[in-house]
Amino acid sequence: MDNKQSNQDLFSDSIEEESKISDRREFFRKTAALGVTALAGTSLFASQDDPAIMHHAPWGQKWGDPVTKNLYGMPSAYEHNVVRRYTQLLASGNYRASIAVTPIQESTGIITPNGLFFSRSHGGTAHVDPKEFRLMIHGLVEKPIVLTLEQLKRYPKVTRTHFIECPANGGQEWRGPQFNSLQFAKGFMSSAEWTGVYIKTILADLGLKPEAKWMLSEGSDNSEMGRTVPIDKVLDDAMIVWGQNGEALRPEQGYPARLLLPGWEGNLCVKWLKRIEFAAEPWYCKEETSKYTALKPSGKAIQHFYANEVNSTVVSPSPEIPWTDLQDGQRVEIEGLAWSGMGTITGVDLSFDGGKNYVEAKLKGLVLPKSWTRWSYMHTYKKGEVLLLTSRAMDDAGYIQPTVDEETSVMGVESVYHRNGVETWEVTATGEVNHVQIRS
Amino acid sequence: MFKLDRKLIISASLVTAVALSVVGCFQGGDVTPPPSSEFNNHATIDGGVYYPVKDGRTGPYRINEDTLKGGFSHGRTPTANEIAAWDKDIMPDGTGLPEGSGSVEEGAEVYEAQCVSCHGDFGSGGAGYPSLAQGNAVTLQKTLKNQRVKPDADGPVRVFGAYWPYASTLWWYIRDAMPHTKSKSLTDNQVYALSAYILNINEFEIDGEKVDDDYVLDRAKFLKIKMPNVDGFEPIINGPQALDNVRNYYKDAKNFGGLNLKQGAVRCMTNCQKETAVVTRIQNGGISDLNPPLSSVRDLPAEKAVVLDPAQTLYEENCKVCHADSSMGAPVMGDKVAWGKVTAKGIDKVYANGMNGINAMPAKGGANLSDKDFKSVVDYMINSSK
Repeated sequence: MDNKQSNQDLFSDSIEEESKISDRREFFRKTAALGVTALAGTSLFASQDDPAIMHHAPWGQKWGDPVTKNLYGMPSAYEHNVVRRYTQLLASGNYRASIAVTPIQESTGIITPNGLFFSRSHGGTAHVDPKEFRLMIHGLVEKPIVLTLEQLKRYPKVTRTHFIECPANGGQEWRGPQFNSLQFAKGFMSSAEWTGVYIKTILADLGLKPEAKWMLSEGSDNSEMGRTVPIDKVLDDAMIVWGQNGEALRPEQGYPARLLLPGWEGNLCVKWLKRIEFAAEPWYCKEETSKYTALKPSGKAIQHFYANEVNSTVVSPSPEIPWTDLQDGQRVEIEGLAWSGMGTITGVDLSFDGGKNYVEAKLKGLVLPKSWTRWSYMHTYKKGEVLLLTSRAMDDAGYIQPTVDEETSVMGVESVYHRNGVETWEVTATGEVNHVQIRS
Repeated sequence: MFKLDRKLIISASLVTAVALSVVGCFQGGDVTPPPSSEFNNHATIDGGVYYPVKDGRTGPYRINEDTLKGGFSHGRTPTANEIAAWDKDIMPDGTGLPEGSGSVEEGAEVYEAQCVSCHGDFGSGGAGYPSLAQGNAVTLQKTLKNQRVKPDADGPVRVFGAYWPYASTLWWYIRDAMPHTKSKSLTDNQVYALSAYILNINEFEIDGEKVDDDYVLDRAKFLKIKMPNVDGFEPIINGPQALDNVRNYYKDAKNFGGLNLKQGAVRCMTNCQKETAVVTRIQNGGISDLNPPLSSVRDLPAEKAVVLDPAQTLYEENCKVCHADSSMGAPVMGDKVAWGKVTAKGIDKVYANGMNGINAMPAKGGANLSDKDFKSVVDYMINSSK
């Protein structure tokens, strides 16, 4: 019996293929070399004047673009490498049941620009005509309703900052590290400021019947994507959103309206929303049975695994942001992200030896519920030092990230989803950074 | 009107009642939530923190509580026909499942015509598309305890027959989402036929009868399907106790591999590691097929990357999955011999075969292309294979 699953099967982690990493290595070596060259220009001991200072810059001696150009602004052409990326491993459905992940190594703050927000669909990105958008809410309500987009937007608005995370973030690495890249190891998530309406606000007039326990949300896309949501969440902070970082949702994010269940699996936040129905029993949609269920060693799988648990990563340094240009004795910030779908980040600990000993890092910026949170630790770099950087976050529900061993002792290595064991970067003697795991 | 308002008020207070019972502190008519500190330990269904709306705030956010009081009259009531047109979900108890029938044999025909190009012979799976069957479902269900903790170990098989808890999901998904390039195009009878075929290749029995090649599936028989893994999921989400089951499940971190400082976990700061812990590295170079290749260089994009043959783009988007390698049995891009045989028939025949579909290839490969665009891709593929 051949039990090997197709390595194309989205989010299966059966990756055995031989592959070469040398191109990437080569690339970062060159990047580092460039970095050192560039540094010479600004070094305290510069032996020659920097042409970037001594000469007029070409853009300073001619007309720039008129304001009539780029009426919707674009990033600088020099930023062309800051893009979502994809891999053949996750090419399911001819890249229509697939994912392109966010370059979180390039992210600043706690907001992802809309063009870089990770993109995941089950039947391709739908392009919905807003004039033909309808949202139907029916089932166990006294008064079913159908809304146009304009009518939906008439409801009182709330604006919240929340990450959305695919629960398969890191899910390829239950049996060991696979991606020598922060973008691919942790980039199945992004964060935005969302604007929309609480579903409980709409329900206030529809008269939810007491026997209503579950809500079906269904998309209008090619896959008719559906998920079942328990009433608890509907009446707490569930939203229907149309605004993302101050503009309309992007098509990849469900334009013109999607569900937002703060902190919960991205897959539950159904895009291209079309229909909401309330019932006394749950539905068993495809993406809550065949996928998005976490198989345990007992042979039983967790279904309705809602919240993305507390998690964190070191962003700088990371495989994409090595320390190859650092000089002995330089002070450098170790910076990272922490997030929890179950509450607010209360603290992050940082280890330099892969989790043997920890020190407390500092949180910084806004610390919001179910949101990315930035953390920081100041370090004095010793040339040639070898480090195992491990971060460990905690939230106000009391959750703390488990070690890889602690998590796999309960979940085994086949669950695909909801991996939140601590992540470790190895900083080599030359300042390169490798993804490793510490396990027994 | 007064009656309606009253009804709405009652309904609204029921909403509040449900909301409060959710957090376990409904005290008969007292709608003022207790202070947030009382909610800070597993008050929500997911085991997380509840941030009540109180005194114009929820968590760190200000909120206008007047906005939550209802009284809106946006939208309209949908007609019965409109609801019927969209309310087509299918539940395990048969709600929504229409009458109809289809045989395994008919299903095999539809499968060969519309499904095999992606899902492979007998549901074996293909380039980027899931496997639908790998043998006897009852036998394979036992593999769900498999853990690939050693390099050569067999993993669990999560195909339809072995893993999914209810067959209703299959019927619903085929009708609404398949074929992937042309969803919602199958008749109900075709969906029954395809369901029968998939049950056949998963070696099912229904009500003691083997789903063999002559089997004809209909609604009554469909509702008798017992999936081998129906009890394979936790927490239990059906029945009157469902929500309490789920709430209780996520109250205990141990159920889902969590660690909670309020449930006995310790925030260890020194000497936290087992002696046996070692550094595990990426094996065999890991996954390095990352596109576009990783780069953090800030320069101007290369000229050549900007100019792309439009036909190449169409090829990448629509044809590559089957024509990039031999796994799908299609002529491989760049294979002079294979394409020589194809073009020997004459270009008009090549166009016609491609547009109408040939062997496992559906019409235009299932792509939504104009004839002109389709021919341009064919030309591109032929020219790239000389």
